[in-house]
Amino acid sequence: MKKKQNLWGKLLIAFLIIFFYAPILYMIIFSFNESRSLTAFSGFSLKWYRHMLESKDMMEALYTTFSIAILATLISTVAGTISAIGLSKSKRILREAVEQMNNLPIMNPDIVTAIGLMLLFITFQVEKGYVTMLLAHVAFCIPYVILSVMPKVRSLDPNLADAAMDLGATPLQALWKVIVPQITPGIVSGALIAFTMSVDDFIISYFVTGQGVKNLSIMVYTMSKRVNPSINAVSTLVVVIITLSLLLINLIPLLLENYSEKGRKRRKLFLRTGALLGVAVIAVLAVRGKERLEEKPFQGQVLRIYCPGEYMGENVIPDFEELTGARVITEYFDSNEQMYIKVANGETYDILVPSDYMIERLIQEKLIQKLDREKITNSDLLVKEALYLPYDPENEYSVPYFWGSVGIVYDTGKVTEEELQEKGYNIFLDPKYKSDIYLYDSERDSFMIALKALGYSMNTKEEEQLKEAYQWLERCVSTMDAEIVTDEIIDNMAQARKALGIVYSGDGAYIMSENEEMGYFEPLEGTNLWCDAMVIPKNADNPDLAHEFMNYLCSYEAAYDNSDFVGYTSPNEEVMEELFSEGGTYEGINAYLPRAGYEMDESFHYDEETKKIISNLWSKIKIVASNAGK
Amino acid sequence: MKKFSQLALPYIIWAVLMLVLPMLLIALYSFTNQGNTIISFSFTLEHYGKFFTDKDFLLVLSRSLMIAVKTTLLCLMIGYPAAYVISRTGEKIQNFLILMITVPTWINMLVRTYAWIGLLSEGGLVQKICLWLGLGEVEFLYTEGAVLLGMVYNFVPFMILQIHSALCKMDGSLLEAAADLGANEVEAFKQVTLPLSLPGVINGITLVFLPAVSSFFIPKLLGGGQFFLIGNLIENQFITAGEWNFGSAISMIMAVIMMLLMMLVKKAESRNQAQEEEK
Repeated sequence: MKKKQNLWGKLLIAFLIIFFYAPILYMIIFSFNESRSLTAFSGFSLKWYRHMLESKDMMEALYTTFSIAILATLISTVAGTISAIGLSKSKRILREAVEQMNNLPIMNPDIVTAIGLMLLFITFQVEKGYVTMLLAHVAFCIPYVILSVMPKVRSLDPNLADAAMDLGATPLQALWKVIVPQITPGIVSGALIAFTMSVDDFIISYFVTGQGVKNLSIMVYTMSKRVNPSINAVSTLVVVIITLSLLLINLIPLLLENYSEKGRKRRKLFLRTGALLGVAVIAVLAVRGKERLEEKPFQGQVLRIYCPGEYMGENVIPDFEELTGARVITEYFDSNEQMYIKVANGETYDILVPSDYMIERLIQEKLIQKLDREKITNSDLLVKEALYLPYDPENEYSVPYFWGSVGIVYDTGKVTEEELQEKGYNIFLDPKYKSDIYLYDSERDSFMIALKALGYSMNTKEEEQLKEAYQWLERCVSTMDAEIVTDEIIDNMAQARKALGIVYSGDGAYIMSENEEMGYFEPLEGTNLWCDAMVIPKNADNPDLAHEFMNYLCSYEAAYDNSDFVGYTSPNEEVMEELFSEGGTYEGINAYLPRAGYEMDESFHYDEETKKIISNLWSKIKIVASNAGK
Repeated sequence: MKKFSQLALPYIIWAVLMLVLPMLLIALYSFTNQGNTIISFSFTLEHYGKFFTDKDFLLVLSRSLMIAVKTTLLCLMIGYPAAYVISRTGEKIQNFLILMITVPTWINMLVRTYAWIGLLSEGGLVQKICLWLGLGEVEFLYTEGAVLLGMVYNFVPFMILQIHSALCKMDGSLLEAAADLGANEVEAFKQVTLPLSLPGVINGITLVFLPAVSSFFIPKLLGGGQFFLIGNLIENQFITAGEWNFGSAISMIMAVIMMLLMMLVKKAESRNQAQEEEK
């Protein structure tokens, strides 16, 4: 019986170890993969590591993660220990009250703590950023330190400190020389918990951060929609840092131990903590050091950009920094709505890149400023289809960034163009393609296809029509098993995972350039001709630099780099024609050149009431989809 | 030693500011409407009404709770035997195994979850193994199974560590005594080990259940855009919909549910202890 149990036990442990480490190993292996794929290893390459080192975002995320973790650990360990000692001598009521308060972050789901802290910072108008993130981390770490120090303090002989002081020690000496050494194990384990919690945290950091400050978790969360093997490289680096520090922590005391046998245990603990801190400091300095080299004499000003994720050529920012000596901080949003909430709540940026209808709203609500056209001389280079659109008829406020249409990307092996012409958007209700379609998670474009499919204007304000559109979408998600996705559609369609999907033309162009079997179709019922443009918020810190950036992006080099990399249509005429013509990256790909002058096409207008209705209905659609999927 | 007691004062102020006030703010937001300030606001139950009268929201809530329960049960089923086996190995191996289980928790949770995407995606290793085993083409990514897997993967170390530390605190001579008194291994386990490890089990359940209920990145990364749990719903209200008051109301509902559940667990624990003492 015993033997048998042993065998099962060993199997279980072996299984667990494999379970824990297989994904990590897999990730490490694929960080050396030559291609983008996460499933097929095509050859050894270090290019993702180069990408990672070149990406300021990633290096800063690493720095933020570890510097916050170290600072939060230090602060919360010291504060927590002192408070625990104080509390042990306080009245019982007080002690219990603090215990109850400490239970709030421990016993509440993270998201509740996160939202509470976010509301706190907003109510007291503390600008969200590095400091708020640190404060939040300290706030949720201290309770754990107290929890682990308190039992040790309370198990001490209460007369210990008195005895020390009777013998002539000052209170401080009594604390430092008598009490602290006795409770070191509690302090160390508290510090370890604090460090782990801080490094691991995502939800709280995500809600209390601002100004583009992001830690590793936030970076992975915002970048993971499109396959990005650099994430594997960063993760591998983290694994290496952790493993090295663990090795050092365990080895250094072992080496030093040989010198003295006495007082081993206590010294060991101190040495371990010391080694841990040392390693951490070295790691932080290493990351910081690299940054320092990049300092430039020119200007040293800061430009804050808030734009959609994965929406900029990889050399645009570095080149601009090189050119001007300014430092650019980029923050990414998932949707115009997300951007709007932050801007409306007073966060400051120098450049925003919203869509047409959102620009209309920002103009209406006086959140953006008029541009000084004299400073944007390169705007002469822009194509007229992207200029003077209804959302900003004189282009007083905005400079086009990318433009395009919304359409259907389809697998030419499964769907023919004739069929699309015949059925239009209603092909998304055709049972033939059940479980074979993607919808895009955008409230306005989802309602656009539904309204167009029903023959209405996409700018309708009629509640009856909106309701019909809701029913169309509800039918689509509940009977067709449609998946509602965001940017992951790009890689999935490039690998032909489904027959049909709704995409923006630029993503369509990218998909078609990756996979020749894919086609892009703009239905005859009409579509959304959109334009994303750069604007400067009213409260921008550095409008001059912002104008400089706008001007730079209109130039041939920047526009080429941008459009070539992302796949969206450039407003720079020369770039657009070059990329589409023979030898260009998007040669002959129809998605790159959106349909112009078709009477059924429209662009979006902003209407507060309609927006609210659509927004609510779309949340419901997503919930229905989620409930139907089960 | 009154002097030392003053050391706690700064923290009490801090705790009121950073721990209690945020909760009060959530409550305030949840009972008011947009546009209200702290100075002038009117009380409303509208947001709670909106949540409780809509079967779709309630479905999301119940599904989130179900997933958290399933995750906790799975973690317990894997974690308890594992902790038990580990606690019975020699000191050196034991330390090593505990280290092996702790290390993954030091690697960022998002990174750990991200690591699964490649393994689970179409044409990935897991699918290949299934094909090889003759299970056919099984789709993993963007299913509930994937979400559960991600949760268990992330949270099971906490369960193991908690139970393990409870088992380690146990006095080994108790088992010998039980054996001397004629108990066989199964009986000794039932009468001695299990009750004594219960505090660890309860701590483990707390540490697994809480994050499992509110996690929104695991469903988003492994469940796909349409896997909507209560955490996603709250995130959505704050980040994209801008309905902070409604979002606060859902947070309050969640906080209250958690508090009730935790009280229940605590009660069960103390009753159990009382019973033990009676014996």
